[in-house]
Amino acid sequence: MQIGFYFDQTRCTGCGTCIVACEDWHDIPAGPAKWIRVLYKEAGKCPEVFVSYLVVPCYHCASPICLPACPVKAISKRKKDGIVVVNREVCLGNVKCKVACLKACPYDAPQFGPEPDAKMQKCDLCLERWKEKKKPICVEACPTRALDAGPLNKLEARYGKVRKAEGFVYYKKTEPSIVLKPKRP
Amino acid sequence: MSAKEKTQPSRSTKVITGATAHDCGGRCPLKFHVKDGVVIRIEGDDAPEPQQLRACLRCRAYRQFVYHPARLKYPLKRTGARGEGKFERISWDEALDTIASELKRVKETYGNSAIFLVIGGGYLAALHSGPAVMARLLSMFGGYTTHYGNVSSEGCIWAVTAQYGTTLVGNSREDLLNSRLIIMWGWDPAKMISGTNTMFHLIQAKEVGAKIVAVDPIYTDSAAALADEWIPIRPGTDTAMMISMAYVMVKDNLHDELFLNKYTIGFDQFKDYVLGTEDGLEKTPKWAEAITGVPSATIERLATEYATIKPAALMDGMGPARSAMGEQFTRCAMTLAAMTGNVGIPGGHAGSGLMGLPVGHMFRSPAIPVPKNPVEAAAPSVRGSLDLIRRLVYRIHTNKIFDAMLTGKAGGYPADIKFVWFCCNNFLNQLGNTNKAAEALKKPEFIVVPELFMTPTAKFADILLPVSADIERNDLTRPWPSGPYYMYINKVIEPPGECKSDFEIACELAPRVGIHDYNDKTEDEWLRLLVSLAPDMAKDIPDYDKFRSEGIHRVKLPQPIVAFREQIEDPEKNPFPTPSGKIEIYSQRAAEINNPLCPPIPKYLGTWEDLNDPLAKKYPLQLITAHPKVRAHSTMHDVPWLKELVPQRLWINPADAEARGIKDGDEVMLFNDRGKVVIPAWITERIMPGVVCLYEGGWYQPDDKGIDRGGCANVLTKDEYSAGGASTLNTALVQVRKGG
Repeated sequence: MQIGFYFDQTRCTGCGTCIVACEDWHDIPAGPAKWIRVLYKEAGKCPEVFVSYLVVPCYHCASPICLPACPVKAISKRKKDGIVVVNREVCLGNVKCKVACLKACPYDAPQFGPEPDAKMQKCDLCLERWKEKKKPICVEACPTRALDAGPLNKLEARYGKVRKAEGFVYYKKTEPSIVLKPKRP
Repeated sequence: MSAKEKTQPSRSTKVITGATAHDCGGRCPLKFHVKDGVVIRIEGDDAPEPQQLRACLRCRAYRQFVYHPARLKYPLKRTGARGEGKFERISWDEALDTIASELKRVKETYGNSAIFLVIGGGYLAALHSGPAVMARLLSMFGGYTTHYGNVSSEGCIWAVTAQYGTTLVGNSREDLLNSRLIIMWGWDPAKMISGTNTMFHLIQAKEVGAKIVAVDPIYTDSAAALADEWIPIRPGTDTAMMISMAYVMVKDNLHDELFLNKYTIGFDQFKDYVLGTEDGLEKTPKWAEAITGVPSATIERLATEYATIKPAALMDGMGPARSAMGEQFTRCAMTLAAMTGNVGIPGGHAGSGLMGLPVGHMFRSPAIPVPKNPVEAAAPSVRGSLDLIRRLVYRIHTNKIFDAMLTGKAGGYPADIKFVWFCCNNFLNQLGNTNKAAEALKKPEFIVVPELFMTPTAKFADILLPVSADIERNDLTRPWPSGPYYMYINKVIEPPGECKSDFEIACELAPRVGIHDYNDKTEDEWLRLLVSLAPDMAKDIPDYDKFRSEGIHRVKLPQPIVAFREQIEDPEKNPFPTPSGKIEIYSQRAAEINNPLCPPIPKYLGTWEDLNDPLAKKYPLQLITAHPKVRAHSTMHDVPWLKELVPQRLWINPADAEARGIKDGDEVMLFNDRGKVVIPAWITERIMPGVVCLYEGGWYQPDDKGIDRGGCANVLTKDEYSAGGASTLNTALVQVRKGG
């Protein structure tokens, strides 16, 4: 089974509530490490302007390219739900391995704090919340209900199989676990 | 605590429902996870959809606010110059004794009118709210001088009072789903919330097929998510566009004659003005194009759409009304709503950014009883009056409080101010002309500021009192334009250091100034009493303890609220609460004021610091001061999670930037005769040429040359008010140049 995300780009206002809720839940200080980011895109000229946002947590790829990139096998993919997790006790830190996982990931999901020799951290799809039958905090926080998460096949059945959106590239090599509703169909 | 430790379910973790009472547009239940007396996490409302109330990023960041290292924890006494920010810790006894002796000295030397109570909306709840508890205390002490005029909404309040005779003019938010056309005119609920879940309701309205148009100098976050069309418009000229829309409707016979005849008075006078019968000037779309910068064809099209797509909601925000002649903007919007028959029907909107519901509204919140202020004993009645001057006999207009400190009675104000008590505001930062205000704050003999943080205003205090935060005591709060629901803010944690609530401060100060009957109840007794005394809560809340433990009571309505539904369905039985019983497009009460700047019908009136002002040669850009999404005005200013998301920057169009050699991210100086602000530029097509935008609420931080480095927009704005009382914080001409 694979758990993944759904993102409705037409509903996102770029407010950042998902980012802050994630930081609060996982106790991540302000700074460079963000388990979920919102990318901003602006195009056109006044008054014909187009703006879109893309949420970028970890997409928990079916074939996570960060796994083989890690020299010490600190990253693994859970069999039961497909969540990609990092064992920070094994991770070498960003100086020794020169962030091989981040370089490999096309979505920049692996994150590093500002501390010296920072260990990798990233979205774990709020795996402990599922035990309490709760969805990830970003999903439950989104004021416009632009996010969902769940078994990928169920998300596909509910929202369709579209894998494109403004600013999003579907890498067949990694197969990110997300379906989307793009702002420009 | 590591993330791992936190994820272990613990018997010692409790979840308590609370809320904040900030001056934001939302009011959201929050579930605080508390372990060993510390909030470790915050979750949102878990009610089933569709009634789940989702908080925005501000309250999600509340831990970094309430546990901020800069929280004030002890009473402080000023040791440096006013504004310098140098203080030393003192005891509560010393602080309160000093304040008491100053209060008594000022009263004896100058009389009670020299005591100035300056109140704001920084904490909107029933019991621990500074404005009410201090008004009670100072009234019992013989009275005080205070001010009049809501900084956010006074233009709207004047306009709805003229037109409808009530301020409760909103529809339930879910009614937006009935609209086929929604015009967001100077309204950005994505940022200022405008009622919890409002953006979600708008998104749903769009998804069921509503067309959405945004009229705004900036392409707001709401517009970016929702709008099928963005119509940029020069600040302060919205009224001209609306009047020419009325012209199109009349010329093309698109207006709802039946509705106008049945429910309104004065349309003929308005029509005479629109068609130019009154003044020889036809208010054509071409006329409006020259003023507004909006192409006449666009105006004609929007007028036709608004008149023919029914039902339609013209959602006119408070921002455009927060400008010189702002009252006219709101009156025009309401007049268009009447001309299109969109008042009192599902899917329509009566108009005005107030958007309040008649059930559970913040305006009807209970509060600790306040005796009549003896200083205002001889004040004329203002009930239903549109005459601002009647309200300013004993009061000072809010946007003039600093001018009044400087000039007093000699300047035409009702008092010479000697003692100032600021509560629940940061008005040095949040009213017009901050540099002038900073000078004015050197003048009073004594200043007290109860605060949570060392705000720019707090730096001018002689005694600074540390105040507890929302979840550090129990209280009642309510939403402003949404709901209806009532909220109980549970005390979740202990206040840090020696913080006290404004109510506790007043209770302890009272006996020191000879008042021994200020309070005879515990907090819980008060809250129970306030619930039972408020007619709506007494009726709706049968079980106080259940209300308290759940933290919220949601009112179930048989159908969504639509303002004036009854008046439209049965006008004989339900007249509008105006003197004529009708919607007053012509207001006799306004006519009686006999002030050409408050005309009886809505008009486009040019103003100081618009583009026709000769000053525009020197300062060719119009500044608007929109709400930031990362603060509630100036509250939560320095919260790291929020601050890093949206740096304080100046929005500027590429054409204006290029003409000045400015590149994205460059430091620029924004200036006019009132001051200078140095701030990075954000170059974006989301603002029209000729306009710049700096979010209000950045904390004033003048350097040794007096140049503000904190991005305080009000360094540039004027301390003036419009004829109906609107603050004018969106009316300012500026220039921008590269470099600091």
